[in-house]
Amino acid sequence: MRKSILAVAAVAATVGLALAGCTAGGSSATSSKVVHLTYWSGFTGGDSATYKKAIAEFNTTHPDIQVSFQLEPWDTIAQKLPTAIASGSGPDIATPDYNVATIQQYVANGLALPMTSVVGNKTGEVPASAIPKSVLDSMTVHGKIYAMPASFTTLMLYYNVKLLAAAGIQPPTTMKELQDDAVKLTGNGVFGISLPDNNTIAQWPVLIWADGGDIVNAKGCSSLGTAKTIASVTSWADLIRTKGITQVGLSGQDGDNLFAAGKAAFEIDGPNAAGEFTPAGIDFKVVPVPTGASGTPVTLASTAPTIISAKTKYPKQAQEFLAWWMGKQAQTIISVGAADGPARTDMGSDAALKANPLVQSFSSQVKSSRLYLPTVKEFNYINANIFQPAIQTATRTGNTASVLKAANTQLNTLLNCS
Amino acid sequence: MTQLASAPLRRPRQRRWQNTRAGILFLLPSAIILIVFVAYPIVQSAWMSLHDWSYLQSTQPFVGFQNYIDLTKDPRFWNALGNTAIFSVVTVPLQIIIGMLLAIKFARSNLLGKFFRSIYFFPVISAFATMAIVWKFLLSPDVGPFSAWEHALGIPTVNILQSTAFALPAVIVVGLWKNVGFTMVILIAALQDVPESLNEAAALDGVGTWGRFRYVTLPSIRQPLLFATILAVIASLQVFDQVYVMTGGGPLFHTETLVTYLYQLGFQQYRSGYAAAVAWVLFILIMIVSVAQLRIFRYRDVD
Repeated sequence: MRKSILAVAAVAATVGLALAGCTAGGSSATSSKVVHLTYWSGFTGGDSATYKKAIAEFNTTHPDIQVSFQLEPWDTIAQKLPTAIASGSGPDIATPDYNVATIQQYVANGLALPMTSVVGNKTGEVPASAIPKSVLDSMTVHGKIYAMPASFTTLMLYYNVKLLAAAGIQPPTTMKELQDDAVKLTGNGVFGISLPDNNTIAQWPVLIWADGGDIVNAKGCSSLGTAKTIASVTSWADLIRTKGITQVGLSGQDGDNLFAAGKAAFEIDGPNAAGEFTPAGIDFKVVPVPTGASGTPVTLASTAPTIISAKTKYPKQAQEFLAWWMGKQAQTIISVGAADGPARTDMGSDAALKANPLVQSFSSQVKSSRLYLPTVKEFNYINANIFQPAIQTATRTGNTASVLKAANTQLNTLLNCS
Repeated sequence: MTQLASAPLRRPRQRRWQNTRAGILFLLPSAIILIVFVAYPIVQSAWMSLHDWSYLQSTQPFVGFQNYIDLTKDPRFWNALGNTAIFSVVTVPLQIIIGMLLAIKFARSNLLGKFFRSIYFFPVISAFATMAIVWKFLLSPDVGPFSAWEHALGIPTVNILQSTAFALPAVIVVGLWKNVGFTMVILIAALQDVPESLNEAAALDGVGTWGRFRYVTLPSIRQPLLFATILAVIASLQVFDQVYVMTGGGPLFHTETLVTYLYQLGFQQYRSGYAAAVAWVLFILIMIVSVAQLRIFRYRDVD
């Protein structure tokens, strides 16, 4: 008898608690309508502080939309993001890679949301003319916009002031001068130039473009076998093999480390590298990338795309965030803090940008800059399995012409060209 | 016959079933884990290898054995297979020989023996990825001590991990450093089981040290030695950690092994079907090698 009374009392108490929990939740009349968005990004390096600052600014000025910023290394994002979005458990916004061509695969698999309220002429939208055309084109697929630039940088030639002064050399203005200077400055444990050949931003393509060559031409087929490309790569590869002007097999990070250690006199790099060289105590300056055999100044433009998940529950708010990101306030923050912008054509004379002198230099290169393989879906595969191995073989063994011709055939097969 | 008063006698078949049921229930948690995380993925990967499978695609077309046929024409697969074979053929004998020498040296249970045994065993229990990063720094031409010593000795510094000649040997050496302690421990236990009387009898008969080793010790430790060899072979065919961390398969695919290739295919190119085919080829290869070893060295025979 006592046992059953206790049992009934226990059940009643449990039910009562459960009901109390239910009513407590529903009793608040005004539930806060804050939208929470998650944003995955791979900017884990020196620029992470700047990005966090920009996000914090957004959160402060937009109390109804709160963005939580999650940083992970690029290869981790590349592995997790597609399945995360496809299964619906992923972030609302993401920068899937530092290379814009990545979005082609996300668009092809229906993982990216087409943006309808970011670019336009209504209030809160960004006019299309304010975004660099090459950038907007690289983020438009079949007439729809699928991404906005998270960063926009160009490359310039860094040089070690002390090393050049000690050898009495002026900064080069042509590729021939750069090659000669690199040879002169190699020796005593120092390399003339830091030229990575794997896991790096596209420095070798800049050298090839300067001499009038290319990797993929305007028709979408391989240019690796053209005479200009072969001539350009041969001239550099021969110097590397015979004069040792750079260390063979450098990764992008190794290359930066080499320059930061004062063991390389030149490096073609983006503005973020300054964040590593300054704390290392290197006295450096930047000059435009030297002109090559083509006679036209050219450098790399690099833009990281930010997409919105096709499965986001808040497409309107996510697009509002991206429109704000493209606005002048956000672009000023990321330009001054990390020189990762501005990704706008109309901020050239903004007084605020003068706070970071590097920004002026790198922005001045926008006109001569071009993107590397911006819309080629297989760019990662091409880089890792065709282009970079060809460069690595040429710089180790020579036979540049035959190596590049073989790579040319391989690339054409991949791109379905004859 | 007296009967115990406490429990009523159950029929033998019922008791056997209750014992069996208890056994099954105890095994169930481990069995579930094994089925979900081992058996099911194995079957699933076999299924995937028969498709052009990528989780980025909306459909996974069935292609039969096309993936396997493509493998035979893939130069990178043959390169990876070759590198894996070289790795195994060089690592296993060295690991056994060095492990044996260390075991003989430190088989005695004195303080010195125990101390050195621990030192040689530490790499086995340490996290391989972390250790591989440390080795990468040690071998770095810019910040590593090895290049500093080479400099001091006047030997030209070689960027070992970026050299097509030295990268694979470097990866082999790191693998040996990691695993030789494990072989040593197995062989120490085996050596300690060798009856001392046999050795004494042989010595009395005038057999020298090498003769005693060859005709007394080796046959006595044949089964643990075979066990250690098979484990070393299987581990060497599956080499991944140090290659992925130290060289990434480079330079120019000179250190790319089957597992690093299948990792790239599956997780960087998202070609899961093709990667599964590579995995199954590796599985069949390991099975053939292991069965051959067991047959040739007569594992089940008792001396």
